[in-house]
Amino acid sequence: MMTTDYTTEELMACAVSRELRDGELGFIGLGTGGRAFIYAVGIPSVAIELAHHRGVDFIAQYGVKLEPRIPEVPGCFTDANLLEWPCRAMILVEDCLDMFRRGMMDWGFVSGAQIDPYGNLNSVCIGDQKHPKVRLVGAIAQTDHCAQARHTMIIVPQERRVFVERVDFISGLGFGDGPGYRERYQHHGGGPGKVVTNLAVLGFHPQTKRMRVQSLHPGVTREQVEANTGFHLEIPDPIPTTPPPAPEEVELIRTRIDPRGVWLQAKVQ
Amino acid sequence: MREKIMGLREAVALIKDGDTVAIGGHTLRRHPMALIHEIIRQGRRDLQLQGWNNGIDMDMLIGAGCAASVETSYIGISAFGLALNFRRACERDGLKVIEHSETTGLDMFRATVMGMSFFPTKTPLGSDLMRVNEHLTEIACPFTGEPFAAVRAARPDVAIIHAHTADRYGNVQLDAQRWNDQSADVLIAKAARTTVASVEQIVSDEEVYRNSALTVLPRKFVAAVVEAPYGAHPCACDARYDYDLEETGKYYEASKSKGSFKAYLDTRVRGVADHMEYLERIGIERLMRLTRTRVAR
Repeated sequence: MMTTDYTTEELMACAVSRELRDGELGFIGLGTGGRAFIYAVGIPSVAIELAHHRGVDFIAQYGVKLEPRIPEVPGCFTDANLLEWPCRAMILVEDCLDMFRRGMMDWGFVSGAQIDPYGNLNSVCIGDQKHPKVRLVGAIAQTDHCAQARHTMIIVPQERRVFVERVDFISGLGFGDGPGYRERYQHHGGGPGKVVTNLAVLGFHPQTKRMRVQSLHPGVTREQVEANTGFHLEIPDPIPTTPPPAPEEVELIRTRIDPRGVWLQAKVQ
Repeated sequence: MREKIMGLREAVALIKDGDTVAIGGHTLRRHPMALIHEIIRQGRRDLQLQGWNNGIDMDMLIGAGCAASVETSYIGISAFGLALNFRRACERDGLKVIEHSETTGLDMFRATVMGMSFFPTKTPLGSDLMRVNEHLTEIACPFTGEPFAAVRAARPDVAIIHAHTADRYGNVQLDAQRWNDQSADVLIAKAARTTVASVEQIVSDEEVYRNSALTVLPRKFVAAVVEAPYGAHPCACDARYDYDLEETGKYYEASKSKGSFKAYLDTRVRGVADHMEYLERIGIERLMRLTRTRVAR
């Protein structure tokens, strides 16, 4: 019998964590609420702290704030609490964005309202930009992550309205319309690295640049993934299973990294 | 030496209908709300709004019918969700949005501050920002031929920001205890032809002499300073006071329809004589609850 004593979010954090290497730098935005917060902020934060516990020297950059103590995140996101959250550096915003431009950012942790088979992301609008059906918040730093980070780690819920054949607006460039598209622009960033969802870990085919399943989370079926994806996904046969978190990892998350559920349960006042 | 202290009315009168107005602050932090309210009271029209990262500031001006276009990287009400006046204006009235990312949204001001007509960057290449934003165009590096995007320099007619202190001559200061995202405010302020800064407090010459490292805008860059305590409310103001989530929630609810938003503006902005009356309506008890320990500057 396989142990089921872990949550999907814990599994996702462990899957993200396995990709992080010594000496790397990663950028996380701070904002939003609820599930969007868990995906865009909580999961990468726990992943980074798990890496720290493995002895991986990974630098987390939350906007202008570098290396805050992840387990000491305030339980109430008042501005003063965030301002006083202990960190090693508070840099100017132009310096913060220049780290993308210079190609110093190893990982950009991003999310979006839509993603397509080539890993293009959209946070601008549903429908035409001039006459949108739904107007969203705007490109924010998504464009910067997607162009300049060495890899992006895209963390999104696997749903048909998110996984679409073609994004309505490319605010975060993936592989564009396929092979050769990114190369034309000589971006620092190599494009989408991994897509981690509540159902699977996905990657991109090195030649076709199309998204494909790397592993399904324990208990998830091929049919379930197909039903929640709005485009054709290459699924390997046999299908690998995402390794479940080790009991020590779950223990670490619950007792040391996120004992108050701020990160993975969005228990933020 | 020329003194630059003005009242809110006089300072906002520097803004004309149709002007390009750049607004400081980011997310739900330190937007110049007292100035925004006065712009709405004076009924400015057709403003072309610019900013780096915006929220309730632009959403309120849009909902009040003051804006013809917006140029920024973000308009949202933080954890509350999408900015609803902005949404309605885009979805129903075709509000013009000039789309930026955080880098190009800063580059447009940075270019002007450096005395350049454009700023080269790689970021937006290959994205749809290049397709819809007429202030971005592809160029080649003259030395290597590498593709870049040129971001057109922004030269706002007026910039409005909210800072912590200033002296009467217009030397504007930020406390040492602050979010460094606020360095965007300095670029925005320096890029404009006319810069108006509201501040929490006008301080003495001696105070500025003693803390000159806190001066982020020397008076040469500043046309007017306005004393407006709690002038960013309901936004947070660094270590001085926090978000007013009760008021923001009320705003968010009201912004769900044109009718309820008009009623909100009537009670909070249009039907209020000035900033002091606004603060009276919010109430001293609430303001004191939001106030943080006044840490050493």
